[in-house]
Amino acid sequence: MIQVKHLRKTFTSHVKEPGLKGSFKSLFSREVRTKDALKSVNLEINPGEIIGLIGANGAGKTTLIKILSGIVHPSSGEATVMGYVPWERSNEYRRQMALIMGQKNQVWWDLPALDSFLLLKEIYQIPQAQYKYNIEFLAETLMIKDQLKTQVRKLSLGERMKVELMAALLHNPKVIFLDEPTIGLDISAQKAVRVFLRQYQTEFKPITILTSHYMEDIKELCPRVVIIKEGQFVYDGSLSNIQSMMGDEKVLSVTTQDKTFKVSIPRHELSSKTHQIFEENDVLDLNIQDPSIEDVIESIMRNGVRPT
Amino acid sequence: MKWWRHVVAMELRKILAYRSDFWITFLGQTLIQLLVARALWQMIFDAQGVTEMQGFTLEMMSLYYLIVPIGTRILTGESVGFLAREIYEGTFTRYLLYPLSVFQYKTTTYLTYSMFYAFQLLIIYTLFRIFIAQAAFTFTDFGNLLMGIGLFFLAATTYVMMALLIEMISLWADNVWSLIVMLRFFTSFFGGGLIPLTFLPSWTQAALEWTPFPYLISLPARTIMGLSTLGEMGKGVLILSVWIIVFVEFVKLVWKRGQHKYTSVGI
Repeated sequence: MIQVKHLRKTFTSHVKEPGLKGSFKSLFSREVRTKDALKSVNLEINPGEIIGLIGANGAGKTTLIKILSGIVHPSSGEATVMGYVPWERSNEYRRQMALIMGQKNQVWWDLPALDSFLLLKEIYQIPQAQYKYNIEFLAETLMIKDQLKTQVRKLSLGERMKVELMAALLHNPKVIFLDEPTIGLDISAQKAVRVFLRQYQTEFKPITILTSHYMEDIKELCPRVVIIKEGQFVYDGSLSNIQSMMGDEKVLSVTTQDKTFKVSIPRHELSSKTHQIFEENDVLDLNIQDPSIEDVIESIMRNGVRPT
Repeated sequence: MKWWRHVVAMELRKILAYRSDFWITFLGQTLIQLLVARALWQMIFDAQGVTEMQGFTLEMMSLYYLIVPIGTRILTGESVGFLAREIYEGTFTRYLLYPLSVFQYKTTTYLTYSMFYAFQLLIIYTLFRIFIAQAAFTFTDFGNLLMGIGLFFLAATTYVMMALLIEMISLWADNVWSLIVMLRFFTSFFGGGLIPLTFLPSWTQAALEWTPFPYLISLPARTIMGLSTLGEMGKGVLILSVWIIVFVEFVKLVWKRGQHKYTSVGI
């Protein structure tokens, strides 16, 4: 179980004016800027649950994951993962946890993946039988068996991500943090990773937090989503409930000679607004739809939660 | 098998992964440094019109400059900025996730490189003594070589702790490249890497006596050449051991505070 109470994280950074003058000035005085990456967030996740953490760039998703995986210390607040305080980094906790960051390599670049796996086997003290089973299971499910003896730096982006997943899951973690695991992958590789993650979740039932900018990842894997905006949670609930939050609205997709745009319109204003759009624009095409999950999430991220 | 043995095996595989780099480091670098030093000292000896300076003949000087470059590599292990660079790039994160001590891990990888260079010194020095210097290579000489390599290892353990201490400053200051270069320069100059320490003024030698520097390069190199007494070696071992304890305690203290600063940002 994961419990987070009033967790805050503030980062400081230096600000430099552009240009050479700014560079000289910064040698003597620098402006320090503080940013609240997390503003007193609360969260509870039950064993076996998988949640999607959604938010714009810089909203605080990765910061939360870094704190829960023990890499970064919070400024204040409490958090426990399976009873452990993550940033104390006890070996018992780290043996049961995995973090996969889509944009960072954790396996050794100059060696074939199997060499890295052998070291991880010793670090995590994985029994031989479990190691053998997991290598077979993960390599087959991810369809990467033939690439395990090739230097990691020579693999494609998709293959590297699969190898990262294997490395992170070899020790059967009970908690998994996935930070944009499908970033930069082509559509078929994204799909393969999603299928694998679903299969893994079904077989081993870990607690999983997934962040992704791809809604397909969230829709296929996460029955529950948490939306984070500027360091605060603005929605925590089921994915299916999200659409009903804008049940009173319709989305008009309009294509004119010059542009394509979307507008959300309350249902009772549909007729008058459509009429107005036709009068003001040279409309080529017009679609009236229920808002998609993407539309609703975008709206929540922009405006916060709106009651139906 | 214990994890550290796998780390050693893996780091050795990394060293051996690139063939050309391996041979350039193994032979090219050592020979070039030796030839340059030999040529410079030849000029100095000729200009002074002497056959011995501060207890060194030209042949002894050549031997010294065969040992010192490889010895410095044993000392400086993995590479400059081995920790600071990872903190700066955010790749340090990986070690925080593993269920083991990050410093044990980093020290193991560092000393693996030292071990590789020690093996290099063993081979090159033996070949040089037998085939190039064509001098008798007795059991005593071989014993001196092994004792010197042992001292280089103790020196490398001291140096890695000093380096860790300085590189951890990057948790606060991001880029500590200049400090790392300064440490290298001080070690090389006051350790006997640039010139034998007997060439320094006596007051400088006295001032350095209780610091770790004279025991990092000069003592192991002189031991290999058979110029150190057992008393000097014992004193060196004792002083380095005390400094290791002091540096380990400082590393723990700095890490305790510095880990709060780590943000895991980078490339």
